[in-house]
Amino acid sequence: MRSLLGAAIEEEADVTLVDMEAGLEHLSRSGGTLAYADVLLMIMEPSRKSILTAGRTIALARELGIPLVYGVGNKARPGDSEFFESVCAEYGVPLAGVIPHDTDVVESDRSGQVMGPEQGVAVRNAVEAIVAFVDKAMAGEDPGQAEREALLRERERVDKRLAELSAE
Amino acid sequence: MKIGIVGKGGVGKTTTSALLCQVYAGRGQRVLAVDTDSNPNLALSLGLEPEAAEQVPVLPRSLVVGTGDGAISPAQLLKDYGVPTPSEVTLLNAMAITQAGAG
Repeated sequence: MRSLLGAAIEEEADVTLVDMEAGLEHLSRSGGTLAYADVLLMIMEPSRKSILTAGRTIALARELGIPLVYGVGNKARPGDSEFFESVCAEYGVPLAGVIPHDTDVVESDRSGQVMGPEQGVAVRNAVEAIVAFVDKAMAGEDPGQAEREALLRERERVDKRLAELSAE
Repeated sequence: MKIGIVGKGGVGKTTTSALLCQVYAGRGQRVLAVDTDSNPNLALSLGLEPEAAEQVPVLPRSLVVGTGDGAISPAQLLKDYGVPTPSEVTLLNAMAITQAGAG
C-alpha cells in the first residue's frame, strides 16, 4: 500500500520536496509525509543543538530505511566546513554540501521579499552543488568515492615515504 | 524523486527548501513543494504574497496518511489542493498532523 504523497504523486511531479517543519513524528513508518522519501537532507547550522537533533534524526531515518541520508551545513562562516565534516563523519553520513552565511538571505527573510537573481549568489551556487550531489547519488554513484580513493592513494604514498625516512 | 528536508527549528530548512525547488524548476522539472507548517513560510519563500499564502488549502489528513486506495487520483489532488507559485513550483499544504489535531 502506498501513500498518495508517496509513489503515486510521482506521476505528476518529477521532484517532490517535503519541508518538514516540526519534529520527528513525520518520519513515521505508518505513511506520514516522509514515508517513501528517497533522499533525506539533514540541515544543520554550526550549533551544538542542531547537531544533537541531527544525530537523533539520522538514527531514526536509518531505522525507517530511507536509502540516502545526507548532511547539509547551513549559515556557514569560514572554518565551519570542517565542523560540519567532522559531525557528519561522526554520524556516518556524507556531507552533501555547505551553504555559506549570507546577509541577503537574512535580509530577505526579515523583509519577506524573495531574493532577486543577483542576490545570494554564493548561496545559490552552494544549493546547485547540493542538487548535483543528489543527482549523482540517485544515479547510484557514490559521490564520496573519488575523494576516498584519492585519500587512500595519498595515505599509501605517505606511509611509503615515512617507511623510507625511518629506514634511512 | 522524493526529498525530505529535516533539521532543528531555525536552521534554515524553509529557505533551503525553496532554493532547492527553484534549482529543480529552473531545469524544467515539475516540482511539488510540500509544506508541513501551519505558518505559510514556504509559500512566502516561493514568492506568494502573504494574502495568497494564507489561502493555500490544507490537505485533509486522510490524504496525507491515507493509502490512496479509492481516494482521489494524484492529478485530482494537485488540481484541488496544489497552488502555483511565482517560482513555477506547485505548493501543497500538508500542515503537520500533530498541529492539525491540536488545532
